[in-house]
Formats: sequence, structure tokens, C-alpha cells
Amino acid sequence: MSDGNGSSTLSPHRPELVSDAVPSRRPRWIELTTSGDHKDQGRLMIGASLAFLVLGLVEFVLMRAQLAVPQNTLIEPITFDRLLSVGQTTLIVLFAVPFAIGLFTYVVPLQIGARGTAFPRLGSFALWLYLSAGAALYVSFAYTPPEANFNALPPLSEPAFISNNGVDVWITSVGLAVLGMTLQALNLTVTLRRMRAPGMAWRRLAPFSFAGAVSSWLLLAVGPLMLAALTMLEIDRHFDGVFFDAGEGGAPIYYQHLSWIFFTGCYVLMLLPAIGAISEIVPTFSGKPLFSRGAVLASMVAIPVLGVLAWMQNMFTASIPVGWLYGAMLMALLLLLPLGLTFYNWLATLAGGAIRLRAPMLFALGAISTLAFGLAGELIQAVIPVNWLLADTVAATAETAYVLVGGSVLGGLAALHYWFPKMTGRLMGESMAGLSLLLILVGVHLTFIPMFLAGLEGQPVDAYRFFEGQGLDTYNLIATIGSVVLSIGILVSVINAARSASRGVEVGPDPWHGETLEWYAPSPPPEHNFDVIPDVRSAEPLRDIRDAVLAREGSSEQAEQGAPVA
Amino acid sequence: MLGPESAHSPNAEDLNALYWVMLAIAAVLALAANAALVALVVRHRAVRGRSARRVRSRGRAQFIVAGGLTAIAIVIFAAGVIVTHSASKLDSAGADGLQASRPLTAQRTLDVPSGDPQPLKITAVGQQWIWRYEYPAPAADQSSSPNPSAPAGTGASASFPQTFSYYELVVPVDTTVLLTLDSTDVLHRWWVPGLGAKADAIPGTLNQTWFRADEEGVYDGASYAFSGAGYPAMRTRVRVVDVPQYQQWLAEQAQGIQKGQAFVQAQLAEGGALVDNSEGDEAPGGSE
Repeated sequence: MSDGNGSSTLSPHRPELVSDAVPSRRPRWIELTTSGDHKDQGRLMIGASLAFLVLGLVEFVLMRAQLAVPQNTLIEPITFDRLLSVGQTTLIVLFAVPFAIGLFTYVVPLQIGARGTAFPRLGSFALWLYLSAGAALYVSFAYTPPEANFNALPPLSEPAFISNNGVDVWITSVGLAVLGMTLQALNLTVTLRRMRAPGMAWRRLAPFSFAGAVSSWLLLAVGPLMLAALTMLEIDRHFDGVFFDAGEGGAPIYYQHLSWIFFTGCYVLMLLPAIGAISEIVPTFSGKPLFSRGAVLASMVAIPVLGVLAWMQNMFTASIPVGWLYGAMLMALLLLLPLGLTFYNWLATLAGGAIRLRAPMLFALGAISTLAFGLAGELIQAVIPVNWLLADTVAATAETAYVLVGGSVLGGLAALHYWFPKMTGRLMGESMAGLSLLLILVGVHLTFIPMFLAGLEGQPVDAYRFFEGQGLDTYNLIATIGSVVLSIGILVSVINAARSASRGVEVGPDPWHGETLEWYAPSPPPEHNFDVIPDVRSAEPLRDIRDAVLAREGSSEQAEQGAPVA
Repeated sequence: MLGPESAHSPNAEDLNALYWVMLAIAAVLALAANAALVALVVRHRAVRGRSARRVRSRGRAQFIVAGGLTAIAIVIFAAGVIVTHSASKLDSAGADGLQASRPLTAQRTLDVPSGDPQPLKITAVGQQWIWRYEYPAPAADQSSSPNPSAPAGTGASASFPQTFSYYELVVPVDTTVLLTLDSTDVLHRWWVPGLGAKADAIPGTLNQTWFRADEEGVYDGASYAFSGAGYPAMRTRVRVVDVPQYQQWLAEQAQGIQKGQAFVQAQLAEGGALVDNSEGDEAPGGSE
């Protein structure tokens, strides 16, 4: 814990007592699931969130199958509403956010040169809250799953309209997950503040760790608001509360505000980890430093601030004085500045580089491409009059899905491919990665461009059927086919990860020639991460180490391999 | 195909025009980013003997890009405010339209003219899972047909709006219609593509939208807020007719409703239970 306060003297070695390979006394799975090691917790979060991604995709494909033809009767209306509620909750609360937090949990301590997180047991607690949330949601299929959509807006979610306990299941599940993720955000915030290696100033932080810091602050801000909203909803439902009861002095719109602040935060959490990961992968595989680091890091701070302040852009049709709506529109439009600058600097990083198209780079490029479409779509939606046309049609779903796929899925998979060798000591299969990326890119456009066009024709969101004779038939059929392609593409990557964990090509500690500190540790890293924590003197500590080795040994070979020195 | 439903109302025209501008801006940005991405990757693939140029940043370019992006955002914001304002301002009725005159309550977001040509004020009430439309009394015809069949004692039918319809909203062409939205249960959202803006129907709060249909015909719409099991069935239709047809329809609808009410009254009188106010608690179903 004293690492963060260590003096940044230039002495290469400080005496430290370290021990390697402590024999485990309990079975391996107990060791893993009760571990205080951030790497075990991170791996379990990543694994569980990928499992929930697969479940969410199954539900998504089932819903698309129901919407393949007009007035379809494949799935019962009530079943569709339950798939809708569970599926969207799964993709946002059980996949996108925990996937991001899981990656941060694994990578951030390694990148900042820490031997663990500040509160190891809190991390374990967060993991188990999250797993309980998933269990609570899916066990409900045995009795009453939720059916009030992904945000359970009152009055629909009040007992007068849905009296079964599906909404209570939803409140429980989302509450547990949000509590867990918020606690882990607290853990990461303290870790980042107190446990950085000597010399690791904020400006020298790796972009992914910086994204982790910003994401954690964001979650600490929006998570408690959602917990408050959920508590009030539960009090309304079972303890005669009137928070959201229009007849008794409350108002349903209060819940809309609180839940949209949270879900806008979730939306930003789909973006930030992707931006952080891409900002490391693109420089690494271009052989160049990130172009204008400062601008990218500043953008990462601006995006959640502006993004969350624009939460009312989801409520442009509500009865809100127009001045507030103008404020939300301004915030949403100003996002163009940080997002545009980030894109510009990625492109400027590519320019003049020596680009190696390995799997992580391919996924990062795919993420940039998809995010460009998704964020341009969001720009259209940010303008009040256009939002009045597109809001709550399937066009709005399509645009959000573009960002979910571009950010959480492609950006997340880019990060997974990039750090997989660190986690397992093995590479993920490159040909399966290429196949997966191709299917995902084809699938995302094939699904969501027709959905955008169907939304322009006026197809309402969240409906279990549409009607013939409105020009929607072809769009929906293509979108259903696309959803299958997209899901298969994602599934290929999940299978690839599972296979490669035991069968992938074995590689050394630094297969990509990275410049950040995690590549200094062995792959997979030992429990204490580093035998010796180096002093950090720039944003590219591993480059400094290689240069130092080169200067001392005069041999370029060892430096090229990036073998741990000391 | 790339655009929204063709506009049949002045505010819908505003919305569609801005949509096309925004689509163009977004398409240029997205396609430019993708084209640059592909071009750069193709051009700068790693080749033996060529190493990367380690350029860290170029300050001026950064400011030019940032300034350009901010300028685009500000221009879009200004356009958004202007079009929002223009689309919220009720136009007066056209030459063929009905010049209805009704007193108005305070407005929240719409800019309703205070002068004489007042819009036709119709209330749309969302309820699980149908839209109910309540019409104002026609100015001229009303004196000839009061409520002859309704007994004076039944206060319910006196406060009952003269005319209402379910599912289908009938309006005169070229007439400014101010739609006040209300809900009796959960959140609903009214929209008919081609006729202006979506607006929420919220229990406990009134909301408004408006349109002025420029062409006779039938326009299909729906509710756009998830409202439970019957949500996809909660559709609506706007039938735009000329003014005489509208007045005729209104009269017929009023007559039909009165006939129906009279029939129910007669049935109840036959059963003998409910006409007497002292036994008002009893269920009306008993008279069948």
C-alpha cells in the first residue's frame, strides 16, 4: 500500500520481501471463487459477463424471430414482454457494465504497477453481488420473470398495473448488480488514487486505466441514484409509498429522470472502456505513441460529464419546459467535440504508422468503424425536432445497439484479445477472431440498418408484433437474419476465448510489444503481480525499460522480446 | 426510403427538413471517418524496412479540429432551437379549414396564438390499450339538438363531453388541431407519422402536440411507449375530411352517442335499479 507514496528515486532495486507459489490449501475452484486477487475476480467477472452476453443474445434472437414476419404468433405476447425485459436488462446491467468493470479489475492494477486492489474483499463481495443479481433474474423464469421493460417505468410498474412479483425480481436483480458494480468502482477509485507505482502521475496513466478511473467516478455518481430510485419504487409497490404516484403528490416523471440518468451513465460505460482500449491498441499496433495523449485523456473526462448531463435527451417528448430540453440538446451536441477529437487522434495515430493487423487491432478498427456509425446516429437523435420523429421507434433501438455492439462488444472483444495473453499466457486463435469480426460487422449492419429504416416508417419500439401493409415486412425479415449472423459472430469469439484458454499458442510476457507496465509482469502474472515495481518516468514505461536494457547490455535481442529485467 | 413519412402538416415539414440536414451531416461524418480509417490502414501497413514515424502531436491541427467540431455543434444547436420553436408554434387554419373558436388554458410548451383564429381543441386520452378522442361542441349546430332524452337528474350525462370517439380521430382538413394529451393509467405516447411530433400522455400532467393536415385521407399511428401486454394493439388512425363532412360526422356521432345513452337509460329504467340515485352503488350489469 505504500507504493503510491514511494519516493521516485532512481535506484533500480528496493529490497522487498516477495514469495512465489504459495501452495494452495483448498480445492482450486474454492480458491478461485473466494480469492482476494483482482486477477481472479476480474477473470470471473469477464467470464460471467460473456455468459450473460450469450444469454442476452439468445433472448434477442428469439425476439427477432417473433418479429421476422408480420402478426407472427411464434411467441406468446407475455413471453415476448418477459424476454424483452430480461434480455435488455441482461445486455446492459449484466453484460455491458460488468464486462467493463471486469476488464478494469483485471488490467488496471497491472497497468499502474500495483500488487492488488485497495480492498480485495470488497472486490470479492462485488463479484458475488453481481453473480447473485444474475441468478435472481434468471431463477425468476421458474416463477414470474419481469415484464415491465428494461427500466420498469411507473405507473406501469406499480402494483395497480403489474401486481405479480416480476417487477420485484427486476428491482432485486438490478439493485444487486448496481450495488456490486458501484462498490467495485469505489475499490478501483481508491486503488487508482493510492496504489500507483512511483512516478506514475495521472498524466502518465495508460489510457485504459484512465478510462477505468473515469468510469469508476461515473459509476460512483450514477449508481447510488439508481439504487435510490429502485428503493423508492419498491416502497411505492409494497409500503404505500407515493413517490411516483401522480394522484398523491408524487410524479412518475421523477423516476424517469433518475432511471435515465443511470441508463445514460450505462450508455457512457459502453463507450469509455472501448475508447480506453482502442487508445492503447491502435498505438501499439501502429508502432507509434498515441497522437495527442492529452486531448484523448481530456476527452475521456468530458464524455461522461456531457453525456450524463444530456440525460433528458431521452425525454424530449415529455411535458418538460423547453428550456431544459434545450440544455440537454446542447450537452448532447457538445459531445461531438470530445468524441470527434478522439476519433481524429486515433486516425492521426494510424497515419505514418507501421500497422500490424493482428486480432486485437482488427477488433479495434472494427469498433472504430461501427462506433462512427452509431455515434453519428446519436448525433441525429440529439436534435429535438428529429428526436420527435425517431424517438421510441425501432430506429432509436438500432442506434443504441450500434453503440452497444461497437463499444461493449467490439471494443470489449478488442480488449479481451489484447489482454488475453496476459491473462492466460496464450494467444486467442487469429483465424477464429477474423471470422468472428467479419460476421459481427456484416451482422451489425444487416440487423440495424433495416431496423433504422423500419423506424423511419414508424415501427414502434418494444412491440411484440408489427402489422402488414405498412412496408415493414422486408426490413424486419432482413433484421432477423442479421441478428442471427451477429449472434453467431459474437458466439465464435466467446468459443474462441474458451478454447484458447487451454489450447492457444503459448507466448511470452509481451507478445504485442506493448509500452505499458502490465507487459512487464509475467503471463499470467503471479499473485503479487510484480517482483519489483519499476520507477515510472514517462507514459511508456516499458519502452524506457527496453531502452535502459539496450543501453546497458548493448544487445537488442533481449529488448525486443521485452523480457522482464531486474 | 431513407427519409421519414412524407409530411402532411407544417410542423412535420419542419421536422422532416431538419432530419434531412442531420442525416446528411451524420452520413458525411460517419463515412468520412470510415473512409479515412480504411485509407490509412491500407496506406500504412507495416512493410519490412519502414518504421513508424514517432509523431506525438501537432498542436495547431488539434485546435483546428476542435474548433471545427464545436462550430458544427453550435450551428446544429442553433438550427435545433429555431426549428423546435417553429414546430411548436401553431399556424393558423388554412383557407379551407374550420375556424373554430374556443377559450384556451395556459400552455406549457406550445406557442398558441392568443388572437381570434383559435385552433380546434381535441383531447386525446390514452388508456390501456386504446386512444379516446374528445371533441368540442360544434359552434353552430348545437342549439338545435340539446339533450332531450337525458333526464335532468343524471348529472353524469350532463358533464359527459358531447362527442367522443375511440381509435379513430376525425378532423377537418386544413384546420389547426391542438391535441391535449392525458392518460388515465400508465405512460402512453401519441404519434401519427407525417402529422408532427410525438408527445407523451402522462397520468397527472397534461401535454400537448398539434398538427394541421393538408390533405384529406387516412393516416395511421400508434402508441410509442411500452404500456404492458396489449401495447402493440394500441394503434390509432386520423381520418381527415373536409369541413362539411366533419360537421356532419360530428353531428351523427353526437346523435349516435345520445341514442346509445338513451338506450342504456331505458334499459336501466326497465330494470328499475339504477335510475334512483339512492341505490347508485348497485352494479349496472344486473339490468341485462
